[in-house]
Amino acid sequence: MRWYCLNTNTHGCRRIVVSRGRLRRLLWILLTLSAVGLILWQCAELLMNYYSASVSVTVQFQKLPFPAVTICNINPYKYSAMKEYLSELDKETKKALETFYGFSEGKSKVRRSVDDWNSTGSDFFQQIPLLKVEDFPRTATDLHSGQKRKIEGSVFHKDSSIVNSGDSNDIIGFQLCDANNSSECALYTFSSGVNAIQEWYKLHYMNIMAQIPLETKEKLSYSAEDLILTCFFDGLSCDKRHFTRFHHPLHGNCYTFNSGENGTILSTSTGGSEYGLQVVLYIDEADYNPFLVTSTGAKIIVHDQNEYPFIEDIGTEIETAAATSIGMHFTQSRKLSKPYSDCTETGDDIPVENLYNKSYSLQICLHSCFQKAMVDSCGCAQYAQPLPAGAEYCNYKKNPNWMYCYYRLHEKFVKEQLGCQQICKDACSFKEWALTTSIAQWPSIVSEDWMLRVLSWDKGQKLNKKLNKTDLANLMVFYKDLNERFISENPANTLVILLSNFGGQLGLWMSCSVVCVIEIVEVFFIDSLSIVMRRQWQKAKKWWNGRQRRSSGKAPQASDVERQGHDNPVCIDEDLPTFTTALRLPLPQDSPLPRTPPPNYSTLRLETAFAEQLPDTLELGQH
Amino acid sequence: MEPSQGEAQQEGLIEFYGSFREMFEFFCKNTTIHGTIRLVCSGSNRMKTAFWTLLLLASFGMLYWQFGLMFRQFWAYPVVLTMSMHSEPKMFPAVTVCNLHPYRFELVSEHLEQLDRMAAESITFLYGINASAWLFRVNASKIHGNNRKIHGNNEKTRDKDRKIHENDRKIRIKDRKIHIKDRKIHFNTRKIRRSDRKIQERDRKIQERDRKIQESNRKIHAQALAKLNSSSFKLSHNFSLLRVSDLRAGRKHSSVGFRLCNSTGGNCFYKTFSSGMDAILEWYRFHYMNIMSQLPAIINISQHEEPIEDVVYSCQYNGEPCRPSDYDHFHHPVFGSCYTLNSKGTDPFWTATKPGIPYGLSLILRAEQKEHIPLLSTAAGVKVMIHSHNQTPFLEHEGFHIRPGIATTIGIQQDEVNRLGGNYGKCTTNGAGVAVELLYNSSYTLQACLHSCFQRWMLRECGCGYSRYPLPAGRARHCDYGAHPAWGHCFYQLYRRLRSHRLDCFQQCPKPCRESLYKVSAGTAKWPSAKSQDWVLQALRHQNGYNSSSSRKELAKVSIFYRQLRSQALNEAPLLSENLLLSSMGSQWSLWFGSSVLSVLEVLELLADALVLALLCCFRRLRARERPPAPESSGERQEEPREGQQGARGSGMGLPQHPELELEGFQSSRELGQE
Repeated sequence: MRWYCLNTNTHGCRRIVVSRGRLRRLLWILLTLSAVGLILWQCAELLMNYYSASVSVTVQFQKLPFPAVTICNINPYKYSAMKEYLSELDKETKKALETFYGFSEGKSKVRRSVDDWNSTGSDFFQQIPLLKVEDFPRTATDLHSGQKRKIEGSVFHKDSSIVNSGDSNDIIGFQLCDANNSSECALYTFSSGVNAIQEWYKLHYMNIMAQIPLETKEKLSYSAEDLILTCFFDGLSCDKRHFTRFHHPLHGNCYTFNSGENGTILSTSTGGSEYGLQVVLYIDEADYNPFLVTSTGAKIIVHDQNEYPFIEDIGTEIETAAATSIGMHFTQSRKLSKPYSDCTETGDDIPVENLYNKSYSLQICLHSCFQKAMVDSCGCAQYAQPLPAGAEYCNYKKNPNWMYCYYRLHEKFVKEQLGCQQICKDACSFKEWALTTSIAQWPSIVSEDWMLRVLSWDKGQKLNKKLNKTDLANLMVFYKDLNERFISENPANTLVILLSNFGGQLGLWMSCSVVCVIEIVEVFFIDSLSIVMRRQWQKAKKWWNGRQRRSSGKAPQASDVERQGHDNPVCIDEDLPTFTTALRLPLPQDSPLPRTPPPNYSTLRLETAFAEQLPDTLELGQH
Repeated sequence: MEPSQGEAQQEGLIEFYGSFREMFEFFCKNTTIHGTIRLVCSGSNRMKTAFWTLLLLASFGMLYWQFGLMFRQFWAYPVVLTMSMHSEPKMFPAVTVCNLHPYRFELVSEHLEQLDRMAAESITFLYGINASAWLFRVNASKIHGNNRKIHGNNEKTRDKDRKIHENDRKIRIKDRKIHIKDRKIHFNTRKIRRSDRKIQERDRKIQERDRKIQESNRKIHAQALAKLNSSSFKLSHNFSLLRVSDLRAGRKHSSVGFRLCNSTGGNCFYKTFSSGMDAILEWYRFHYMNIMSQLPAIINISQHEEPIEDVVYSCQYNGEPCRPSDYDHFHHPVFGSCYTLNSKGTDPFWTATKPGIPYGLSLILRAEQKEHIPLLSTAAGVKVMIHSHNQTPFLEHEGFHIRPGIATTIGIQQDEVNRLGGNYGKCTTNGAGVAVELLYNSSYTLQACLHSCFQRWMLRECGCGYSRYPLPAGRARHCDYGAHPAWGHCFYQLYRRLRSHRLDCFQQCPKPCRESLYKVSAGTAKWPSAKSQDWVLQALRHQNGYNSSSSRKELAKVSIFYRQLRSQALNEAPLLSENLLLSSMGSQWSLWFGSSVLSVLEVLELLADALVLALLCCFRRLRARERPPAPESSGERQEEPREGQQGARGSGMGLPQHPELELEGFQSSRELGQE
């Protein structure tokens, strides 16, 4: 130990040995230990901060690829064409409206279900009737001869709504029952009759639509010529060939501009509204479904070519009789994956099958996860999301129970009981187009006349009537500037930096290096072990000698030498104990021995000093 | 110098060196600072000593230069902005909705009527009789049966007014023709105003009478309160709207404004606006504030409360009807009845699980254009503001309008800013350590702090509180020109100082350390559509039991949803943490000196030793002067230098390690000998 302290490169240790006075020595021991402690603490902190990421933001000016722009009419299918499918439903809805809001003021105290049990052969109302509930907790148990228990009553309770309906004091909702167990029912009420009727209509609508094959639905919806009147891109005229049809279950036929389907992705030459996409859309307000959609206009979404357009979720609405200009600003972000943050590069490591054949996103994962759970527990797929392999859309001809199942499942999903939110991770890289919208009145009063005339002439003979300005919407989508903001995370610490910081800490407190760490390990572990071994060995030898005094005592000696020769690489270690033993021996002639230099900073030299020392210390040992 | 117990070695608690020389040699021998060995121990070779001194000094200089740079950088407390993306589910922000129809409180209703009349007169005066006719019509429809008498009087007044106006016009024509100086016009104008005022005085007398009749009709309680208020307050006619014209750049510019003077009538200035509309609005607001400050501090809102059903027809979040928990109602003097949904953000009902319109908040709002107070706000629709929980919504700063007859979908995206605070920049977590006492009992925001600070200045400078901002506890009162005739002058002066950063408010209000910002983008569509209009309106009409012929223009639909649940967080991080500073210091130290903190301690020890030794020497010398020196100490002293000399002599031969070796050898042998 003493030898180590004198010869080590580490500061402090030498002082412990060399200092005169016990207090001084104690002080140095304390100082050295505190320095070691500080090193350990600081290095631990460095290690803990190792997995941090720094972010670099680069702004590039370059020719940017134009994103895909998907445009849908808010109304999915032509109402006139849908008549034959929806006539029953509409009739019932109208009847319901009449009973609720028409001329029934006097009878509003009497709660009744609109269901007219004998007049129509329709099964809609028998399945899920619209109800007028007067006083929820009491009447809920009365309905259907006490069969019903309130289950989610607390959630959809009338009193829980902020907005109580006015003095008429009745609310409208519908009830979903478990077909297998008719005592399990849930009553859904809404804060406004408008919502209730729309929701109820949508429910039945989805049942009907699920039975219509896709080809028919595409025919029922708008064609590209119907929707898009004029098109301009980058100052040049474009037509319907630049648009790709995409059938959305809730929005009918949507058209994607620049979808990249034929392999080329368009880009704009400069920023500004002149060089973006300019379309005039024809929105036939007269052909709208009055119950399904209540607003007029179009919906657009700007997305990447291999991203799925979630138009129903995050689409931006476009007003009719107005020019909407949408300026885009492109941002691309990239996160570091695994040890730095919890995100996924491709989505392959997520145990949810991607139902959309587009690149992974959190939204896709959540929808796919829900759809999977739906197929698993309800036996059929929800209409708004794509079909998994081997499943089909729910309709109550085949799955009479699906709606109850769906609502229960959705509630579970919202409460995060399905585990989808835990399974699905964010994508590591994403592109984003920040949109700025501004609206102007269009066409202006002076230009209205000629513009409408020209457009109706363009539209051709198909349209008998003259276009109205409320049937048109002008849309401009353009890059505000061609700057691309690229946000990327980089590891803040590389291994090199970490090591150099370690080196700095070691150097600061103790002027120590990796070699001296090795030294410490060597001295404190290997050497102390070997000292113990030697002591044990000597004891054993004594014991052996005492026992085998009569027999040959040469064997252990030889084995000792053998071992020293055998452990040649450890030879350096072995010499230390001999040296310490030598020190312990009262040897006055020790002084003239050539000693190793004190702090010696080239390790090579130290080792040579060792080597020099080796023979005579060994000798001493033998001696 | 006590003997040790266990060891055979005799060692003192602290042993001091015999002499300086010995001490230095010990230091030189055992030090860990590079260079010093060479310097001190290379002894006689002067070339070498000089060389090593130079080297040592140079590396020393380098080291401390580097240290200086490093510390300067550290003490500048540089920060780097790091950006991180979070995608965990979060709470929906608080949403405040206002209907833009300030309620006419009964207590001050007659003042408001009077104000409307005054406004009409001003408009007549400025723009001719036709311009103000509509306002009278509005008033006429509003004023109760009792007031009809006044209205009759009004007609008379108006006739007179018209005559005066004719005069005014003549004067103005004359002005244009003869180019009389502006001052003369002002003089004339004021003359007219004086006569105008007389008429108003008469008018007021009639009103006084009328009010008495009205008051008799009212309940006793309200009457008492009203009396209390109305007796002390009268609408002031000192602040009337004027046309001010000045000669600028060769052309005559005319602007409209009103005059404000301090309490002694001096230091007057005109608050002018280039557009008459702005002037009238500002003027109206000024008077309106004076009237509103008459209201007692705690208004029984529940009495006047419009139930939320009257404003919000339908409220759905995540497909379910909104829950009544966490909803606040307050009355804003300009924006009317306001409702804050999800104000505290504690109900798990409001967690956002998915991005998208169906999972957001959807409201159907009433945006009826009732002419409550026509001159207060000219916009129609609904005011909406999206803000963080527990935050006072400052609608005038951050709210946006929603058009009626339109479905507006508002996509929000959350951004978060986290500041480090402390030495890295001033910021506060929840108002701690801010000199300004916050008057709003919500969480700290910069805006709230600025308002509180401004209110404090108001109280200090003008003696009363600005009536838009809350009052601190105590006897402070809101300003009105009944009690504080010059407060307008004071206020506008103060406000100008605030705007030009001459008040210390911007210094005293730090930014909050944690801020949530909501980026908003909107899309609009016509709603309800022509096809669905009939049934939607019918349903709403029936639901709310009101039978006015509501049209599309009286409804607005708003959907607020998260565009994405990902939120960007901007975090400040120290560029140079203490940890890294120490590391780089260590690297520098190792690079130039190869020494460490312990080496510095060695030097310190050396200095301490030197001090002690010097003291000891002095002491000994003193003692030696008194009596003959002690034999054993002198012997020891003699011994040590000899050895030192030996070492020094040996070291002269070039290899600097030699003396150390020898000395060490000697020392160890001596120690061994002691054993």
